[in-house]
Amino acid sequence: MSLDQLMQVPGALAAFQYDDKGDLQAHQVKEGNELTPQVLDLLAHTCVANMAIATMEARGWEALTGQTGFEPVQGFSLVGLDWSAVVGRNHGVVVKNRDVDYEAAFAALANCGA
Amino acid sequence: MRIISQLMAIPGVIAAGEYAFRGDRYSFEGNMTDELARMASILCRSNTLAVNMQAEIFSAFSENCGCKPVQGWIVHGKMMSVCVVGNFFCFCQNTPGLLNDVMTILRAKVGDIEENPLVYMYAKLGGDVNEKLY
Repeated sequence: MSLDQLMQVPGALAAFQYDDKGDLQAHQVKEGNELTPQVLDLLAHTCVANMAIATMEARGWEALTGQTGFEPVQGFSLVGLDWSAVVGRNHGVVVKNRDVDYEAAFAALANCGA
Repeated sequence: MRIISQLMAIPGVIAAGEYAFRGDRYSFEGNMTDELARMASILCRSNTLAVNMQAEIFSAFSENCGCKPVQGWIVHGKMMSVCVVGNFFCFCQNTPGLLNDVMTILRAKVGDIEENPLVYMYAKLGGDVNEKLY
């Protein structure tokens, strides 16, 4: 799935692709918002970090509690004031909170990894 | 109805709770022991502090970027998700529609949805939602 298709997620403001270190590889931004490539690059780095932390916590939680179903972590979302960043493995989409559909965003990102 | 009880009324929600930003106080309902709820509270509190710190850094690059203050975060696992908004957490299954409903309730109570959450939830259907509902 391309960034064009990620931009079709309801409320999408930006879509971006990043490598395993979090460096921004490609991006698309809807006109009229303040999401600069610099912010998206920083966002991609935090998403990689948060996915790694979430994986560590999920693995530890499953080992400690015996509960299953958390691993492998499929995605992470940072819910801001006006928008949410929803990320999968190497792609992310920023969606307006007013129109957000988290499940649609996670499903679209899962298709990116397919 | 308390927000935790509202969340627990949704089929597929495993557990929901509230934690204090300072100290180890917490309350919860659901399929979780007291010790697990304590651990979940600590985990959620530390992650919330981390994403708030990240938003502070974003705002250094773009003052009005729209992320600050952070409302919460979601970890989407293979079959389960953890949703946190403010100082509330919810563990739920990945059944269709559940994640959006949980987040709508959490955001309506502690986040940014100012109007009636029912109106917000049904707004996705389109048309005059107020007329249809009332």
